[in-house]
Amino acid sequence: MLTASHLTRRFGERVAVEDISFTLERGEILALLGPNGAGKTTTLRMLAGLIAPSSGEVHVSGETLTRRNAPRLRRRIGLLTEAPGLWDRLTVRKNLDVYARLYGINHPGRAVDEALDIFGLRDRAGDPAAQLSKGLKQRVALARTLLHRPDAVLLDEPTSGLDPESARTVRDLVLRLRDEQRSVVLSTHNLDEVDRIADRVAVIRGRLIALDTPSGLRARLFGARVQIALAVPDERFALVLSAAGFADVRTTADGLSVGVEDSRSSAPVIVRRLVDAGAQIVSVAAEQPSLEDVYLRLLQEVRP
Amino acid sequence: MTRVAALLGKELADLRLNPALFMPAALTGFVSLLLPFFVAIIVPALAGERLSDSSDFQIAVEFYRDQPGLRDLTAEGAIQAWIFQQFLVLLVLTPVAASMSIAAYSVIGEKQARTLEPLLATPLTTFELLGAKVLGALVPAVSLTAACFALYLAGVSVFAEPGVYRALLTPSSLAVVFVLGPLAALVALQLAVCVSARVNDVRSAQQIGALVVLPIAGLLVMQLTGSFRLTVPVIALLTAALGILNAILMMVGIALFDRESILTRWK
Repeated sequence: MLTASHLTRRFGERVAVEDISFTLERGEILALLGPNGAGKTTTLRMLAGLIAPSSGEVHVSGETLTRRNAPRLRRRIGLLTEAPGLWDRLTVRKNLDVYARLYGINHPGRAVDEALDIFGLRDRAGDPAAQLSKGLKQRVALARTLLHRPDAVLLDEPTSGLDPESARTVRDLVLRLRDEQRSVVLSTHNLDEVDRIADRVAVIRGRLIALDTPSGLRARLFGARVQIALAVPDERFALVLSAAGFADVRTTADGLSVGVEDSRSSAPVIVRRLVDAGAQIVSVAAEQPSLEDVYLRLLQEVRP
Repeated sequence: MTRVAALLGKELADLRLNPALFMPAALTGFVSLLLPFFVAIIVPALAGERLSDSSDFQIAVEFYRDQPGLRDLTAEGAIQAWIFQQFLVLLVLTPVAASMSIAAYSVIGEKQARTLEPLLATPLTTFELLGAKVLGALVPAVSLTAACFALYLAGVSVFAEPGVYRALLTPSSLAVVFVLGPLAALVALQLAVCVSARVNDVRSAQQIGALVVLPIAGLLVMQLTGSFRLTVPVIALLTAALGILNAILMMVGIALFDRESILTRWK
């Protein structure tokens, strides 16, 4: 649906983004992760056809995005900017209505009504945008982004600064986009959010550091581990597992942590060996490093 | 065209909700209206003299003696007609002031309110964006001028000598208000929009746009001193020149409007 091919953008001498490539499939949510100034917004702007890459190309449904066709291809893309960017004096309805007309929607009034219903804004339709809370403004901005039913949706920090309830509403709306088979690129600092909704993660720091599923990144950096809590922890049980061929066995405060290829197939073997050795097992769980651990490890590996 | 109309609708709606933006123009219009009444009617009344008592205005009496339809004016009426017609040029300042205050805010205002980026993400082209911004300032400016002219005409009908109002309905007078005025306003606001697209604050845009006031003021002075007259051929020539200037300014504006620079370098 949307392809970034060797995207590079320079501002004078400074290279903001270098050689970023990825393909976004239909119904996929790709999270762009990176520290401030990593080039996330620049990447989104290039994908939206707002700024041209210094080199490389963006393809929208196979068509290369150029200055000439950008106005046309922008109909297929929805960009939610970092700030909601609403006209404060105008009502919610008027804000949406202007955009419906700018996108050339056939029945703008009907499209606005639908958007107001979908985003739960009907009762605030007549209020000036200035009177809305931050969460509501973000909802209006999201409604504006999706008014023309774009195939690809680019979201720049959509939940930044929102209270948990509003952030959850926005996340649910993003998930709904995936259900509608739209492709979503989500730039965010919220790693928990990424873990919950992203299909793949692109970690960038000027250039692409990693691109994988959240679980793929975890496995690649930390491997799989099985955590066993014992009623009576004893180093003897670590030796039992080492003798059984498990090379990475660590003792913990309440038991053992075992590095494995695949936790699902290894866990029964581990349990059997420990029970045979007389261990009283309290619990067995697949150990999962947080995405924050993964992210920080990746950034440590690639210092600027 | 639909997109220009959509953005124009937004500009006008926004302006309706922010009438303060229109105050400088309304004040200009008010002063422009008042000044000739002060000179032609109020001051002579306060001084207890008639303008026709002075030989200084003989040129006006003679001028209207040759004008068909205005020959029947009294000497006092002819002088008043002369003054009201000369000061008509001041009314041209009204749309200029109106458009400048609106247009200078146009691009910078959007950028400062962080509404420009979502707008640029739509299929809107630079021509359409600038076109809507220009019309968004021109339409209210011309409407204000028309309103001021109507008031001017009504004031002259009521307070001046009988028949003087007819001097304001000649082709040259109407062309000054409804052709030269909007064209001069278009120059001012296109300058303001161009500057607005390149500078970071509204004041800079307004100051540069204000340069258009100078030739208009010069025109008024030249008219009052008798060294220049806005005859129909002169107006036609000025109209053509302003038309060309406007076309050039539109092209320059599009060339100057660098979306990328506005998005990436402005804070």
